[in-house]
Amino acid sequence: MPMRRENIRVGVVHGPGSKIRPVWFDLQRRKHQICTITNTWRERVGQVELLHFCVTDDGALYELTYNLSSGCWHLLLVEAL
Amino acid sequence: MTPRQIMHIDMNAFFAAIEQQSHPALRGQPVAVVGSSQRTIILTASYEARPFGVKTGMTLNEARQKCPALQLVVANNRLYTEISRRIVALFHHYTPQVQVFSIDEAFLDVSGSLKLFGSAERIAQLIKAQLKAHFGLRCSVGIAPNKLLAKLASEMQKPDGLTLIAPAQVAAVLEDLPIGELCGIGRQTQHKLEQLGIYTCGQLGRFSPRVLKSRFGVIGERLVLMGQGVDNSPVVPPQEEPEVKTVGHSMTLKRDLEDRGEIARFLLQLAEMVGRRARRYGVSGRTITLTIRYADFSTFSRQQVQAQPVSQSEEIYRAALRILDRLLLGQPVRLLGVRLSRLEYRTRQLLLLPEERRRQQLTGALDEVNDRFGEFTLMSASLLGVKGKGSHVISPAWRPEGIRNVGVD
Repeated sequence: MPMRRENIRVGVVHGPGSKIRPVWFDLQRRKHQICTITNTWRERVGQVELLHFCVTDDGALYELTYNLSSGCWHLLLVEAL
Repeated sequence: MTPRQIMHIDMNAFFAAIEQQSHPALRGQPVAVVGSSQRTIILTASYEARPFGVKTGMTLNEARQKCPALQLVVANNRLYTEISRRIVALFHHYTPQVQVFSIDEAFLDVSGSLKLFGSAERIAQLIKAQLKAHFGLRCSVGIAPNKLLAKLASEMQKPDGLTLIAPAQVAAVLEDLPIGELCGIGRQTQHKLEQLGIYTCGQLGRFSPRVLKSRFGVIGERLVLMGQGVDNSPVVPPQEEPEVKTVGHSMTLKRDLEDRGEIARFLLQLAEMVGRRARRYGVSGRTITLTIRYADFSTFSRQQVQAQPVSQSEEIYRAALRILDRLLLGQPVRLLGVRLSRLEYRTRQLLLLPEERRRQQLTGALDEVNDRFGEFTLMSASLLGVKGKGSHVISPAWRPEGIRNVGVD
């Protein structure tokens, strides 16, 4: 389960309020539809605040992070289910 | 020195949650898992049942009175032990330092894994995500510099919690915490400490070790350290666990028994279970102990020492029977237990007499068949017709591997 750090494109629903919910993401030219969000948490790294989302598609578990300062999404982890 | 990062993971309402995942109709319902015997109690209750006051250890009638809509499910021990094994395997993705504390609890020392995964908190969050994705289960996690505090932390937020106790917070967390909240302080110890005017961990940590030592013996000094939140015990993975000292099985009978023949039949079954496990892990023992619990729950044990260490079921059975025959049973028997102790490891005596050699070969052949086709596939004719053979209760000492891995039905 090696840790990686890839910039990815994510489709997101903002709201209601300040909520953020990833709906799909692109990985290796394939669009992955998110089935479930199994865990979310916040992490502060210095001045930067990161939102972590553990999500599943139909075959794997992924950890995505959203950098609240830069607005960038990263993929940190992939694990087959 | 960098403080250790110890994690305690406690699966929430483990058996009930597995049943709710296996049977979607039970999700969101008040569910209690019960044993298969007629005299069973509530083994665990789902979080939907707990607000009604349904608790572990209640009789079924008590539980139904508290929650008339309660759904009772008979425990599927094989499923629970298998899922526990898979969960422990998942923990090993993060660290080899995993100590299984019971079927639904484990300690992980992740101090050496932080460079790989970032932080103990991230490891905890990933484990929670994986448990949800793989099994649909929730857990509470405590992270602290030692096992005592990690266990305490995991109890602080249930269900689905994650609590960190940083070294700088330890004194503040413990100051007003009731002593009974600490793992290792049972009701009797708590009562004795309260007689000394000690109600909180803060008071315990400041108390004179000398006075506590005179009152509690060697554990007295350790109690003071516990009050201070100090615990240097390591997380012990299975390969480093000390060798077990006893192999035993016990069973609560479906009805109280008085007849010697019926009692003997259960002793034979218990002796077979003890002998099988001893032989599988290459141990034999010199002392055989018979435990009897009467209908009024009074319990006693008697033992017999053998000239040679034994592991053959028949020898264990004969010794247990000899103990039984020396007793004058005062009441009907509710529970029977057979235990082998003073164990010797990896000893296999070379037998000289052809009769003994033949018996050993026969036992070996029986074991091979039962290993391949399941327990009690081949057995003594006396056990034919006995229903519900084998272990039906997951012992607190159950472990996913080694001699403590007792197969349960």
